Amino acid sequence: MNDMIICRCEGVFLSEILGAIEDGADSVPGVKKRVRVGMGYCQGRVCQPIVRDILGGRVGTGKNPVLQRAQPPVRPVRLGEIVR
Amino acid sequence: MNDKVIVVGAGLIGTSTAYYLAKSGAHVTLIDAKDIASGTSGACDRAIMIQSKKPGPTLDLAIKSAEIYQDLEKELEVHLEYRKSGGMIIIETAEEMKAMEGMVERQQKAGIDVKLISGEEARVREPALSKNIIGSTWWENDAEVNPLKVSFAFANAARRLGAKVRLGAPVTRLLTENNRVTGVEVRGEMLYADAVVVAMGVWTPMLLKPLGVDVPIIPRLGQILVSERLPPFLHTGILSAAYIASKLNGDPDDETADPYGVGLAIGQTHSGSLLIGGSRQFVGYNNTETNPEVTRKIGETAVRTFPQLANVRIIRAFTGLRPYTPDGMPILGPVDGMDGIYIAAGHEGDGVALAPISGELMAQAVLGEEPEIDIQAFSMSRFKR
Repeated sequence: MNDMIICRCEGVFLSEILGAIEDGADSVPGVKKRVRVGMGYCQGRVCQPIVRDILGGRVGTGKNPVLQRAQPPVRPVRLGEIVR
Repeated sequence: MNDKVIVVGAGLIGTSTAYYLAKSGAHVTLIDAKDIASGTSGACDRAIMIQSKKPGPTLDLAIKSAEIYQDLEKELEVHLEYRKSGGMIIIETAEEMKAMEGMVERQQKAGIDVKLISGEEARVREPALSKNIIGSTWWENDAEVNPLKVSFAFANAARRLGAKVRLGAPVTRLLTENNRVTGVEVRGEMLYADAVVVAMGVWTPMLLKPLGVDVPIIPRLGQILVSERLPPFLHTGILSAAYIASKLNGDPDDETADPYGVGLAIGQTHSGSLLIGGSRQFVGYNNTETNPEVTRKIGETAVRTFPQLANVRIIRAFTGLRPYTPDGMPILGPVDGMDGIYIAAGHEGDGVALAPISGELMAQAVLGEEPEIDIQAFSMSRFKR
């Protein structure tokens, strides 16, 4: 088995990421919208650099791939704390 | 059918239009400046709420669209996370009750059998609802779907039928000859077609403006919170009466209205996350940062309605621009006084529900077939009067 998990939160494999790129994704949000990479509990903190490097090697536009927009909260926080 | 048609914009409306055109045999090129569902369609929630639609032509469209959704997974051969979950509009005050009684009566007259139920009945359906909820509407035919999956499925189905899909390809202008649009320019490259459909949502006015056509679509910002994955918590799609008031009373010049337009819209995704919205603000195209004050206000209404949510973790907030029109109805059809150009945009928060029917009607209009629903009510010319 040559496949490996890239996004643990959502259980996304390398092969799925390559499939998304094949399908036309050329940015981190593009891969995310196709296969859910970075949509989970850590919000791509772990997998985004890896996905970026995979994209950089595959898409070959010479530009750095567009990254996911950083959004609050910085870490998961209970809604009760937000409204307090 | 040998018509060459260019569809600009690969969101829900553009991909749907491309699919139905390709299905009818047209030679379709679907173009997007970025990617499929990279704008509004990738920054929204998942409700196919029919009972929340404005009574009249929009509701008629929504009813027809909901019928198409029932068989869409089979037609496109993709799991779209479609589920007929039913929908509720929850009521907190006597004043809201009065407004919702009127709305329910109008919806019933329009042919959908929405019911008003008591607070107790509402809590039987959604046990986590607060004891302070005094009533709710209920309609079993409201549904939900994953809009990302719908957009990609339409685009891929169009591709299988021969459509070309060009991503990362910004259309910089429409090509014209006399009073006819003959194609588009993409980064200096001219692409010619018999017809061009502009399905660029909030960005539609920018492409039409150089032709002297003013499309009255205004971007309206909506914010949504995403929770950690939870075991099944909600069974239906839920809106608050305050959300309906904000949706139907949009007026950019009304300064007395809640500036954030906060009303609850909540549902649980296939993965288990809750999507908790929402807000409606007129802040232009560029102020799309999430706002902590809006996050707090959405949080307050969510916790007030579902007290257990205080213990649920939020992992992300995001915003999307919704294409508002002054009368709350989408723009579908040709542009008066000009040939070869069509608009399919301006669905604001109704794009998920209306995508299939919008695409089907646009394909019929472009290919000169009699549309199955009269689209005159949605024409651009209504704004001139």
